[in-house]
Amino acid sequence: MKLRILLADDHEIVRRGLCALLQKHEGWEVCGEASDGREAVEMAKNLKPDVVIVDIGMPYLNGLDTTRQLLQHDPHFKVIVLTITDSDQVIREALDAGARGFVLKSDAARDLVSAVEALQSKRMFFTPRVNDLVLAGFLDKGHAISRNEPPNLPTLTVREREVTQLLAEGKSSKEVATLLNLSTKTVETHRSNIMRKLSLHSIRDLVVYAIKNNIIQIQMPPQLRTETPVLPH
Amino acid sequence: MPVRILLVDDHPIVRQGLRTLLEGRTGWEVVGEASDGVEALEKVESLQPDVVVLDVTMPRMNGLEACRVMQQKLNENPVEILFVTQHDSPQMMREALDAGARGYVVKSNAARDLLEAVEAVSQHRVFTALARSPQASC
Repeated sequence: MKLRILLADDHEIVRRGLCALLQKHEGWEVCGEASDGREAVEMAKNLKPDVVIVDIGMPYLNGLDTTRQLLQHDPHFKVIVLTITDSDQVIREALDAGARGFVLKSDAARDLVSAVEALQSKRMFFTPRVNDLVLAGFLDKGHAISRNEPPNLPTLTVREREVTQLLAEGKSSKEVATLLNLSTKTVETHRSNIMRKLSLHSIRDLVVYAIKNNIIQIQMPPQLRTETPVLPH
Repeated sequence: MPVRILLVDDHPIVRQGLRTLLEGRTGWEVVGEASDGVEALEKVESLQPDVVVLDVTMPRMNGLEACRVMQQKLNENPVEILFVTQHDSPQMMREALDAGARGYVVKSNAARDLLEAVEAVSQHRVFTALARSPQASC
């Protein structure tokens, strides 16, 4: 029986590349493709794939929260997180979320097949840097990376994290309500709770928080010739 | 009409995705790949493609700089450059066109726009399409 893989990435170009890579492997089958985290969760519930590969930076529901929701639904899901960054915080969050594989997008062509093979054999797969961090965590308990150690962040509920991402993506409360099938009043209540818990005072603060905590991802463009450089003051 | 295409992006998985789209078109051939602007300049010189599909953010030399240098070096026989990028920004697009590109599409819509964009720029027509304004202009 073929190993069934669900792909979740908001760029069809990337999904095509991943498909081409994975389907060369006899015995593997891409059973579905999702373009955002919410779609990925729904598709996983219906298709029950053996492995789910999620991009960390997706709209509506990012890869880390997708991982959390998948594993809350069924702890047997095996998730590989694809990311453009291997910062300590992202690694920590991916491990805490329950990912069993962690692959840098830039190295996906080299590492993804090995990652899927590892998960197929009930092993985990992480990039060498993650392995180093995990090992350092065992050797130095002051900086332990442990699935039982909560991230050093105020605790938002699952729903609050969803609302945070959508607001940081620029959606109005009404749009968030439509997407999450809630009333606008409920979204406004979540918004107030989020701002209070995180001690934030504006949507701008919320966006900064979301970027710093990998709820949304941005890629910095090169300095444009037409831009006036911003001088520090 | 045969079109020879050079793919430039620092992510091999993106280059693979672009390749699967482009090679579906009869007569189109991906003649080479590069992972940064410096390698792109070398390959443009050695392979002489008709179209360069170019990312913006890359190590060593970004796509905008590579585009400027390419067009300066190939002054009499400029190559047609199509940017395929994450940056859904009118300002970035203007910069790309000023640098000498003929086309600009965003990666989130590349599957929708790429073929039409390559066709247009290979025929020396401008093709631009941001995600914010779904109507392509060419």
